[in-house]
Formats: sequence, C-alpha cells, structure tokens
Amino acid sequence: MQREAAIREPLILGHKTYKDITDDVVGPIMGPAPLGWKIMITISSIIALYGVGCILYLLGTGIGTWGLNKTVDWAWDITNFVWWVGIGHAGTLISAVLLLFRQKWRMAINRSAEAMTIFAVIMAAVFPGIHMGRIWVSYWVLPLPNQFGSLWVNFNSPLLWDVFAISTYFSVSLVFWYIGLIPDFATIRDRMTKPLPKKIYSILSFGWSGRAKNWTRFEEVSLVLAGIATPLVFSVHSIVSMDFATSVIPGWHTTIFPPYFVSGAVFSGFAMVQTLLLIMRKGMKLENYIHVKHVEYMNIVIIVTGSIVGVAYLTELFISWYSGVEYESYAFINRFSGPYSWAYWIMMTCNVISPQLFWFKKIRRSLVATFALSIVVNIGMWFERYVIIVTSLHRDYLPSSWGEFHATSIDIGIFLGTLGIFLTLFLAFARFFPVLALNELKTILKSSGESYKNEQAK
Amino acid sequence: MSKIFHVMYDDDAKVMAAAKTLVGQGIRVKDVYSPFPIHGIDPIIGIKRTRLAIASFMYAMTGTSLALLGMWYFMINDWPMNIGGKPSFSLIENVTAFLPVTFEFSVLCGAHGMAITYLLRNGTLPGMPATNPDPRTTDDKFVVEITTDNNSMSADELESAIRATDLLELSIKDA
Amino acid sequence: MANTKRYWTGLDDLHQTEAFQTLQGQEFPQHEGVDEMLGNENLASATTGRRDFLKFMGFSLAAATLAACETPVVKSIPYVNKPEGLTPGVANHYASTYYNGHDYMNVLVKTREGRPIFIKSNASTGVGRANVRVNAAVMGLYDSARLQGPHLGGAGSTWDSLDAEVAKGFAAAGRKVVLTNTVLSPSLQRAISAFCEARGAEHVQVDAVSHSALRTAAKQHTGVDGLPSFDFAAAKAVVTVGADFLGTWGDAVYYGPEWAKSRRPENGQMSKLHAFETTMSLTGSNADTRTMIKPSEQGKVLAALHGIITGSGNASGLNEGVASAVLKAADDLKKAGSNGLVVAGSNDLDAQIVAAAINTALGADGTTVKYTGEGLFAGDDAAFAQLVADMNAGRVSALIMHGTNPAYHAADKEAFRTGLGKVKFSLSTAGLADESASRCTAMAPDHHWLENWMDLRIGGTRIDLAQPTIQPLFDTRAAGESFMSWAGQSMAWYDVIRTTHNAGYTRDAMYNDGAWNSSLHDGFYMTGEDMPVSAPALVGDVSASVRRLAAAKGGAMELALYQKQAIGSGDQAANPMLQETPDPISKVTWDNYVTMARVDMEALGLNTYIAQRDKASVVKVTVNGQAVELPAFMQPGQTPGTVGIALGYGRGDNGENIGRAAFATGENGEHLLTADGKPMPIGANVFGFATVNGGVPRYDAYDVSVEVTGTEFALAATQIHNTVMDRDSVVKETTFGSYLAEASKPKGKASWNKSHTLNVHADVNGDGVINASDSKNTSAFDLWKSHPVEGIGHRWGMTIDLTTCTGCSACVTACHIENNVPVVGKDEVRRHRDMHWMRIDRYYASDWSQERGAEEGVGVIASYTKMEDPSANPQTVHMPMMCQHCNHAPCETVCPVAATTHSNEGLNQMTYNRCIGTRYCANNCPYKVRRFNWFNYQGYAKFQHMNPSQDSLTRLVLNPDVTVRARGVIEKCSMCVQRIQDGKLEAKKSGAPVVDGAIKTACAEACPTNAITFGDLNDNASEVKTNSKNNRSYHALEEVGIQPNIFYMTKVRNTESNEA
Repeated sequence: MQREAAIREPLILGHKTYKDITDDVVGPIMGPAPLGWKIMITISSIIALYGVGCILYLLGTGIGTWGLNKTVDWAWDITNFVWWVGIGHAGTLISAVLLLFRQKWRMAINRSAEAMTIFAVIMAAVFPGIHMGRIWVSYWVLPLPNQFGSLWVNFNSPLLWDVFAISTYFSVSLVFWYIGLIPDFATIRDRMTKPLPKKIYSILSFGWSGRAKNWTRFEEVSLVLAGIATPLVFSVHSIVSMDFATSVIPGWHTTIFPPYFVSGAVFSGFAMVQTLLLIMRKGMKLENYIHVKHVEYMNIVIIVTGSIVGVAYLTELFISWYSGVEYESYAFINRFSGPYSWAYWIMMTCNVISPQLFWFKKIRRSLVATFALSIVVNIGMWFERYVIIVTSLHRDYLPSSWGEFHATSIDIGIFLGTLGIFLTLFLAFARFFPVLALNELKTILKSSGESYKNEQAK
Repeated sequence: MSKIFHVMYDDDAKVMAAAKTLVGQGIRVKDVYSPFPIHGIDPIIGIKRTRLAIASFMYAMTGTSLALLGMWYFMINDWPMNIGGKPSFSLIENVTAFLPVTFEFSVLCGAHGMAITYLLRNGTLPGMPATNPDPRTTDDKFVVEITTDNNSMSADELESAIRATDLLELSIKDA
Repeated sequence: MANTKRYWTGLDDLHQTEAFQTLQGQEFPQHEGVDEMLGNENLASATTGRRDFLKFMGFSLAAATLAACETPVVKSIPYVNKPEGLTPGVANHYASTYYNGHDYMNVLVKTREGRPIFIKSNASTGVGRANVRVNAAVMGLYDSARLQGPHLGGAGSTWDSLDAEVAKGFAAAGRKVVLTNTVLSPSLQRAISAFCEARGAEHVQVDAVSHSALRTAAKQHTGVDGLPSFDFAAAKAVVTVGADFLGTWGDAVYYGPEWAKSRRPENGQMSKLHAFETTMSLTGSNADTRTMIKPSEQGKVLAALHGIITGSGNASGLNEGVASAVLKAADDLKKAGSNGLVVAGSNDLDAQIVAAAINTALGADGTTVKYTGEGLFAGDDAAFAQLVADMNAGRVSALIMHGTNPAYHAADKEAFRTGLGKVKFSLSTAGLADESASRCTAMAPDHHWLENWMDLRIGGTRIDLAQPTIQPLFDTRAAGESFMSWAGQSMAWYDVIRTTHNAGYTRDAMYNDGAWNSSLHDGFYMTGEDMPVSAPALVGDVSASVRRLAAAKGGAMELALYQKQAIGSGDQAANPMLQETPDPISKVTWDNYVTMARVDMEALGLNTYIAQRDKASVVKVTVNGQAVELPAFMQPGQTPGTVGIALGYGRGDNGENIGRAAFATGENGEHLLTADGKPMPIGANVFGFATVNGGVPRYDAYDVSVEVTGTEFALAATQIHNTVMDRDSVVKETTFGSYLAEASKPKGKASWNKSHTLNVHADVNGDGVINASDSKNTSAFDLWKSHPVEGIGHRWGMTIDLTTCTGCSACVTACHIENNVPVVGKDEVRRHRDMHWMRIDRYYASDWSQERGAEEGVGVIASYTKMEDPSANPQTVHMPMMCQHCNHAPCETVCPVAATTHSNEGLNQMTYNRCIGTRYCANNCPYKVRRFNWFNYQGYAKFQHMNPSQDSLTRLVLNPDVTVRARGVIEKCSMCVQRIQDGKLEAKKSGAPVVDGAIKTACAEACPTNAITFGDLNDNASEVKTNSKNNRSYHALEEVGIQPNIFYMTKVRNTESNEA
C-alpha cells in the first residue's frame, strides 16, 4: 500500500469511498438525460448535419467549390486536418506519457481525453479524404494488388507516410482506450437494472470478471501500450509536419517542423481538453475528481508547450534572416507584413502571448480564465496552420504566380460541420460511457484521496 | 464432495491481510475478484508475471520486417521508377524514405497483436458471459475464491481458517 | 464431301476469279495506286518526300472532285474503302492561306480523319509566321452559330430563290454597290468585276481598321498605289511612333519575325528599337527605349525627327523628356543611315508623309522600305463615307457586303445601320449573322476559309493558294461562285480559280496536272520571275505637313485606340481561346478596359490594384458626345494625361447570334443580360471614338473627358503581381554592351549570368587554402545517387531565348489548342484558376530595389513594399513559363500514388487516370505550372458558354491525340508527348534516328521568332544542346537544385550604342 507525501494536494476531494466513485460515475448513465445535454446535442447535431450537407455538395460539384486556386492548392482543408490531428495528441499524451511517468492526476482525465483524441482523429481523417479531387479512388493510396499489374504507391511521399501514421494512430488509440473501458463497462453492467442496456453493456464488457490474473495482464497491456503509444504520438505529428518540411516551398521547407509541430499539437490538445472538461465537470458534477489541481497541472503543460512553440516561431524568423536566402527571408517578412499578416498576428497573440499569463498562479488556478484562454489557444493554433499553409503558398518563388486565397461558404461550412460532429460524438460519450477511469481512480483513492490523506496526516 | 468458498471483503487492505494469513496456513487461494488491481497480491497468491510484453515485441518485429520487405518489393524489386530522380536501386539507398512507414507499421502490428492476444488469453471477448461470483466485485467488494479441490484441508478446516479473517460475507457452494 | 468442308473468304474466293488470284498473294491490295503515283513524272518537282506528296495529291484530287460536284455530295466518307492518302490516326497537313482582311498568312492546316484541328505557319514554303489570331482561327470553322444556309428576310431559304432575289434587287434603279474588305484574290476580283459589269454595280472596299493614310502617303510619295513593304530584318535602327508593328499594325504577322532576325546578340550586332507611344503595346514592351507621348505629340515627334534628320529643324516644341529621346533616336537613325527605319502608326496623312520623307532622307528607300505596291489595306475610306451618305439619302437601291462588317466597325456605325435600313435590297456573304448581315434583307453565307478554294496575291508575282481541308459543313456557297452566278455566268468556284490562272485549263485535264498539284502542296506558285522593285521617291516638299503636325493642339486628356494582340479588330470575338488568352501586356482576359496612368487614377481616386476580390473602378469616357462606361486598369507606361481603349470589343451589341463565347458571362457562367434582355456584349465598341477627317478615321482623340462613376467591375487577370522583386534567378537580363564585353566568357561566369554556387570546405580552386573562394555550382550538389540522365537515350529539353521572345502569345494559343486545354471563362480566371499549360509571365521593372533601399536608408520591409510597384514607364520582360520537366522534380516525390513520374527520356509525366487529386504536387511546384481540374469542365453548366467540349460542333476541334482530362485530376505541360511519340514512330519506320528539328512542340512550332527551341539534349549536334551550352543560357531558380530540362537564355537589351 504505497503512500504519498502529505504536502501533495489530494487528487480526489471530499470523503469518498469506492462505492461513491462508482455511483458518481455510473449514476448519470443510469439516470435520465438532463435537459442541458439534450439542448446541446440538438444544436451540435444540427451543425453536424449542415456540415455533412456541405461535404455532399463539395463531392458532387468539385473542389472548385472551395476557394483554392492554381497558387494556393491547400488552405482550410489541410489546416483543419492538421488542427484536428494536433488536438488528438493530448489524449494519447495524457494516457500514455503520463502513465509512463506515473502521473496519478492523469487518471481523472485520461478517459475523456482519449475519447476526445479518437473523435478528433476521426474529424482529421475527414479532410485528407474530401480534399482529394477524386475521393472515389482514394483507396489507391493503399498498396493494394490490382489488375494493372505492378502499380504500387509511392513510399517516398510524405502523404503516404501520413496514411500509415494516421491510421495506425487512430486504431492504436482506439484499442488503448477500449481496453481501459472494458472493466468499467463491467461495472456498469453489474449496476444496470434495465434489461436492454444491461445486455448491451455486458456485450461491451466482453465478460470481464476482474480476476487477479486479468488485472495483472490488464496493467501489463496498459503499460506496454503506453510504451508504444508514446513514440507513436511523437512520430505522428512529426510525419504530418513532414508534409511541409520535405517540400521546397519557402516557409514549409524547415527542419524545425517536427518538434515544433509536436509541441504545438500537445499545446492545442491540452487546450481542447480544458475546454471540454471544464464544461463536463460542471455538467456531470465531477468537481471532486477534476478540480483546480488537475486544471493547474494541465495549464503548466500549456505554458511549457506554448513557450516551445513561441521559441519555434522566433527561431524560424531568425533562421530565415540568417540563411540569407532571398525566398526564405521574403516568405517570413511576407508573413508578418504581407496581405495575410493579420493571420500571423492573431497566431502570435493567441499562441505566444496568451499562454504566458499562466505564469500567474491566480490565472493558472482560475477556471474561468483557463476556459477563456483554452479557447484562445485553440483559435491561435488553427491560425498557425493557416499561416504556414496559405501565406507560404500565396507568394512563393515566381512573383508572376503570386495570388490570393479567399474562403468560400463551403470552406467554412465544412469546418463548422466537423466541430458539430465532434461535439455530438463527445456528448454521446459523456452520456453513455464511464467518463472517469473507475478502476484506476479506485487504486489511488487511498493514496491521494483527501480524507485518507488527512487521516494519514493525523 | 468438494466445495467452493467465496469470501467477501470490503477493503483491499483486508484482502491482502487475509490472503497473507491464509496462504501462511498453507491454504491455496484459487482466485481473487476485485474492482481494481490490488497491487502486490499476485506474489502472495502465486500468479506468475505475464509474457504479453515479449509477445508484443515479437509482433512489432514482424511488422518491421514485413514493412521493409514490402517496400523493397514495391519500390525496388517489382517496378522501380524514377520518381523525382531519387534512387530506386537498392533498399539501403532508399531506406531513409521508408523509415516512417516502417516504424508506423511496427507499432500497428505490435499494438494490435498484443491487444488481440490479451483478449484471447483473458477470455474477454464480445458476448462472453461474466464469471464474477458477485456483481459487487466490480464496485467496491473483493472476493477471495478458495476450493477444496486444490487444498489438502477439509472443508471445515478451511471454513474455520477463513472465518478467522476479517471477512464481510462467506458463501459456500458445492462444486 | 463433308469431311473436306472449307470456308471461303468471299465469292471471289469461291469462284477463284482472276482478280482474286492476283490479289491473293499481296499483303496490300492497293499497291497499284502507289505505283501509279511513283510513275508520275511530276514527282520530281515536288519539294517534299513521296509520302507527303501522296497525301496532298490524294486529297487535292478528292477535294477537287467534290468542289466540282454540282450534285449534292455524300457528307461523310465511309472508311470501308480507305480513302487514298488518308490513314486513320495519322494527321494530314495541307498548305493553305489565311486572310481575314487584316492578317495575311501562309499556313499549314493539320487535319485528322478529315477534321482540321490545328493551324500553323507554313515554315517551309510560306512567308510570315502565324500569330495568336491565326493559330486560333480554326475554332471559327466549328462555331455552332454559323449560318447553315441562305436566308431571305431572316428566314431560311434556297440558293435558287436567293439568286432570283438578287436578280430582282439589282434590277431596280439607283446606286448599286458591292462593299468588300480589301480583295486580294484575283479570281474573286474577277467575279466581282464580272458581277458589277453585268449588274451595273460598283465595287467599294473598306477595311475594319483603316491604314489608308499609309497607302495614300506612299502614293503621293512615290506614285505607287499600295502598302509600302518594310524590311525590319535589314533595319539596324527602328523608330516607331505609335505603330505596334510586332502586334497588330500593318502586316504584323510578317514584320515581327523579320524584326527578330536582327535581334540575335550572337551575331555580334543587334538592331535598336525606339518606341514613342501612348499605351504600352507589344512593340513598346520590346523596345530598347520607350518614350511616353500623347497622341497629339506623335506628329510633333515625327516633325522633330524630320527636322533633325534633314537638318531643317530641331526638337524644340517638345517637352525635354521626349526631346532628348527624339535626339537619341535621330542619332541612332543617322548612324544606321540607309538601314534606319521610321514607322508611324497614326492613320493621319501628314504623319505618314513625314515618316516616308524621313525614310527617304535616311536613304532607306529600297533597303528597309520598298514601294512595290503591296495589296493589303486597299480600303477607300472616302468612298465608304460617300456610300454611307448615299445610303442615308436613299440613293442606294442594292448593296452586297462581302468580308466586311461595317455595322460594327464603321466609325459612325449608327449612320451605316440606318442607311442600311433604307437600302431596298441588301445582302451579306458573312458566315455569321453578324451586326451587318443580320440587318440585311438576304444572307448568302460564304464557305469558311477552311472549306474553300482561294487564290490570293499580296504583291509581286507570287500567288498564294488556299484549298479546302474539309467539305462544307453547311449549305454554304463560295462567295466568288455566288458573284459569278449572279453575274449570269454560272461556274464552279474551283473552275473560276483555275481558269483565272491557267488559260488552257479543262476539267478533264485537272486530275493529272502535276504543276498545279505541287503548287497546291507548296501553297503558292510564281506567275513570273521578276522581283518587285521599289519605286523611287518623287522628291516632294513636306514642309506643309511638318508645319501642320508641329501645330497639332493636344488636350488635357487624350485617347489612344489600340488593338489587342488576341482580339485584333474583333472579327474573332466569339473565339473562346482568344478571349481567354491574356493580353500580353495587361494579362487581363475576357474584357475591354480603359488603360490609365497611375497618377491619373490616383488623382481620380480609382482602384489601382486589381485582384480576385479587388474590383476595378468603372469610368465614363466621353468623346465628342458619345460615351462608354468601362473599368479603369492601371497600365504602367501609359502616358499621364491619356487613356487607351482597345478596339474589337462590344461585338453583338444588339444580341446578334455571333457565337456564345462572344458575350459576357456572370459568376455562374450564365450570360449576363442587358436591360432589354439581350445577351450583354463583352466590353464596348469604341470605333466611334476615332477622329474622322474626310472619312478617314484616325484612331485617337485629343479631347476626351474621364469621369468617375462610382461603380465597380471585376476584371480577370492571370497575373496580378507585376514586378520580379529583385529575384535574380528568375529573369536574367543585360545590355548589349555588357553582353559583348563578356561574350566570350564560359557559361556561368559572365557577370550577367553567374551560376549559383555554394562554398565547400575543400580546396576546390587549388590555391592551397580553404576559404570563401572555394565553391561549387549548386548543380554539383546531390543528396542521393540520382538516376542518370546524361547521354542515355533521348533527353527532351527546350531553350527559350528571352531576347527574341516578344510575348506575342502565339505559343499560348497553340498549346491551348494542341493539348485540349480547358477554357474556363472569366469568373474562374478571376479566381486564379486559368488552366493554361503554357503561360507568359510579364514582369515590369521597378524604380525600387533593395540596393536603392539600402542607399536611401529605407528598411528592407518597406523596400519590398515599394518594389511591388512598377515604374511609371517600365522596361518589360516576357518570360514563357511551362513545366520545366525537372530531373529532380519536387512534384514527383510528393505524389502518394506515383501519378507523376519521370520518363527515361527526361519528361516529367503526368498520369491522369492514376491521379487522385491531392494537389500536393501543385503546391510543391516552384514554378506553379500545374493545373487542377476544379470542375467537370466538359459537363458543368458554369462552362457551357465558353468550353469548346460542351458544344457538339465545336467539340470537333479537340485533338484526338490528347486526353480530355477528367474532373479532379492535375494536368500540365507534357512537352507535347504525343508529338514526341509520333516523331519517334516516324523515325522508327524510316529506320533512322530522330533528326533534330523533326519533332517540335506546339509552342516551339508556333513561336514566330524562333525563341523556343525544342530537341534532344542528349544529341550533341542538336540546336537545343548548342543553345543550352551557350553562355546566355540558365535554369530558372537554379539554386533550388531541381535541375530542369528547360533552359532560358539571358535577355539582352540594346540600350547601348550599336557601335559598342
């Protein structure tokens, strides 16, 4: 029975027993759906449907319904793709990296963070699909044997690396998440009284019985998966960054991209976790499990990654000047002084300046401030990708080809749509899934529960 | 005629203590059902360390070799093309471009291979029936399972020994 | 017998006929035909090989027969019997001649399965090189708006009843007139004269854009009536005063290539071009020194030049900017002496007289100017004016119009239209119901020129021939034939032509008239040997003209009317390829606009920046009462205090059915409608703005007013950024002086073409120390062991000489037509989605540079902003840009599905049907030459009015050798791979290696100045290889290290004295 230093803040507040934990989590699932939830899911699914409509129009008419052109061949599509993938990273980071580092505070948030990862990656996967001119032959990106004989894919292409990275990332996170869910589904199964839900949950729980041997394997698998997922999470966004880093376009062709993209991803991911959890803990009365300390921890991660991103921005600027390459230096001068400088300055304010506010403990521990800033950071990170993609492309090598990009209603509609789908999925998750990792929380109740710590302190 | 004892405790500490004493008396504990992993119980009731990690490593290695073999075949052996002037003459010249996919594919195989093995070994698969003796074991109760079959003692001796522990309930079933 | 059952290949086989037995052994039963041909003794007189001869022979026989047929002929040839000399899948070429009343060209027409699909210069035996308008002229044949038969009173009719009407119409009393453009065909002239004689009619000629002052001046100057012929190749110094001789002035298709011959720096001497003009023209953009003048100053400049050259005057009375330029020009002219040449663009008699006098004073008569009485531009404006007056006075009872459309291009078109209404019987032979024809009581559509026989004589003893390349698509009749039958001497048009030229012609003899056939093959024949001689100048006193010119009073705001390279006088307004071809200077497509100087626009507070969402401000330009509202376009080089408007727009202003592409389209490709519900014309007709003097229009006005309307109008330009931003590895240029100074230096060493190097940490130069001077060419660096390209098989490549490229855009349309490049219309171009595989980047020089910024202490960022603005009168460079077929192509590496790969012949291949459309390649292309199919251009409603493939008739112009790309795939320059394959096949059949020059890409073939050279870089003897080794050649963006197969050759401007 391990103990924890008394000076550490407790992670579970109030006097909780194992039973309380179960009831706090399973209760909402068994009870009727609250009105607020109904309202939210209605709104979000309406937005989702609008987005689907836009996507169908795009597929029916052609990519020309977007604002792209001969100079700027990617804009919102890939911006959204990178943004969503980035958001996904927080979940894996929390569940994997923090697990390796034995960070107990992760246990309250990893379940929902992973859910967010899964849904975000699904949203991300939408864009590489629909941005293709001929989505109906999208399966050609897989090295499938075919009637054309020796017709394979090009393994030199970063886009193909993406295909493998994203699919691996998605499926592995899904497995990781589900394996953690199984025991908790069992818990719901054994509480559930209504027959149909009971049946469903018992199927979902794969007949989990909680034998000692199962638990050993369970912990081993979680640990190994965490070990695998950790390099995976870093590799995925590195590979995404290589879409740009391996090109020849000034502003894209930058060796700094992999680390810079990964920290950016974690940065935006944690922001999104904050946004969602702060709503969820209120809505589902989880204040005792997700409380100021958790928020503060995450804010610290945000400061760190945010600062890394800031340094990366400055490094880019410095190198572009130091390199003495005409095109490189102009690309960056154009970023902050050109036609799209507004986007650059939004990015700078949101990503570099705002997270620094978290140095103040007051702000760091203020839920309202955190919520506000988390949204700001998400906006900033979207613009980071927009700046990298659009401002680099719209003025590259030959001035004769310099152009402009203007988003159309379809560009915007599809992005909103993915937000809608994402929220709908997350709300469904919050309603029907155990939003906290019960089995894990119970293991730390005694070491990090408030009442227990107090007793030990006596 | 053999019997199965299901001893229920309401705290993981008590389970540990009880298990210790029982095992101390030479009683074999068949299994323990708990709502969460009780750290440190495995050596007491004699559960060996699982070899899933090694399995995973082997799956991953398979992935690595498959990936490299595949890319060598696609890009160099079967139909080498001049793509951007980049070499397509031998694996070693191309391998840098192949590393990302190789890594991802290894992870894919490692993770999924292990996960599947885990589910099979656990016998936890979609639609499997639950076998925990009491639904409360997934909530806050802990059950120690002891049978007369794998114990030399008689049922009564076992029961008295069990009753000596700080238990909550005891259910005795005929096997 | 059942067991010996056998099958017969046919009845002949069964009966074992003699014919069958003889043919049985032979693989090709048609060999006799060939042998017959081989036996033909005229074979020797043919200038090309037997194969071609057979093709031409075979066709001319077939065509002759058809043209001679009076009975209705079958409209399609069943290929059950293979037509002689026509192999499906193999293109046939026919020599012909293009003439539309302005452009006059010997051409070769490429046909596939009997369809003309491509027009190019007849380089071997022809004169002049096809320009953008001639290239695209094939589209007109397939215009679904063409009249499909004779019309009477707007309703369809028959030729018989039409002929009867003509007879009636010309029986009436009153003036009877045949109004035509300049007639160059002896046979047509014969027919018209015959008609006039028979019907008591008179013949009046009028040109769409009048050059009559030039002819009149020549006549007064030498007594020879005809267009002077200018020899730009022989000129060492050319001074043009408002004459766009590279673009649209005079016989431009001939002048341009000739001038370029004198612009090859390798020859050690270059001619020098001084341009004095108002609006930046193609000529001005290629001038060594360009001076901005107002239209009213043209005369003054000429007067001053005349004064200085003859020593009778000076450059006083000109503002000193112009004066000094005039002095320099005069200086160069004097140096060039008899090799000097002055051309004046103004259609003002005095100006032309003085210009002629200057040339005479230089002693240029006979060297650069020859008065041989060329036939072009014989229009008589005074006679036309009189005709219009008579028509309005009701004195004209019958009028026939041929090859002219005065209701559109008359300076006072309203007068003509009302007058036409008063003519009892009016008839037009136009192929379209255009502004004039639609107002006539009868329409007798002529054949399209590609369906017709024609003989044309521009001057001297050379007769150019035009032959049909396809049977008439509709129930049309050769105008000449109509005139003959109306004259009462019915005769097949073909016979008319033959009898015009060989007296002893009989139809029986025509099938084996070898001489005629070889002339058909060559496209011309000589009626005699005598070369035309230049008439001497009758020394006349021009002081009166000089005085009048010098006295010209200009206004505060003046107007210059000009013709655009693609649209010209507007006769092809319905040609979508021409409408989509960007203006070589402004890069604006699909529109007419008012060019203005920045200062003037800022004074009026107009938008100077045009882009996707930045619309142009509409201004109202008023000239003596008439006004048009057009968008204002900021044109660098436009003289402050002047505006320029292009002629040739505003076609179909009454909704006449002249072709769908001739009308303005909206954001969804729909036709915009005028207030009265008719399709809205593109731009406005400004022929009326010309200053008319004794019937002669002068295409400028000295007193115009420009008012701001406050409304805005979107312009679609393919290039919105004008300067090269100090980027030294995009365009390289130097002056002739510094070129000569370093002409002998090896490639990459001359100061004006330094190759990019990287410092290496090794003692490269062998000076014993490793320091900054140790460097290697960027091309020497390679990250990987790359695929070998040197010396293995073919390696197709290209060199483009920026010195001789005039930006004329002939390559753009040639590529467009050859490769079925989609036409996407104005709205898509505005969204930067033009699909041109071959484009011409046009860069203006800027006053500003980073150096100047450093000197004047202006920050780097501020300097970049200043560098975006071109100077007020910038030097211009035209840079053709297409796929560079890089050996280390960045586009190839990034394609996930290997849809774009490198061929082992150095081509960057695009596999359309493998492409999934990620557009990653387009992003990663440093030249931005890859084009994406944003929509289904062949089916989507947005493109119904402009895309040829959406019209069942126009579709026939598509090249069957090139895939029409699907929606969602990337396309780009393929270096005309279909032509390469064809050429290789030919070589293979002949068993010899590909001969250099045997294969030409569409652009290289079309380039009038031979600036583009295509060939095999692995063939050390090839011209392209030689050029690529030339020390002027370089790779664009060399330092990116992508190793293109396209070389550019440093632009050399002759801004030093020729005696450098």
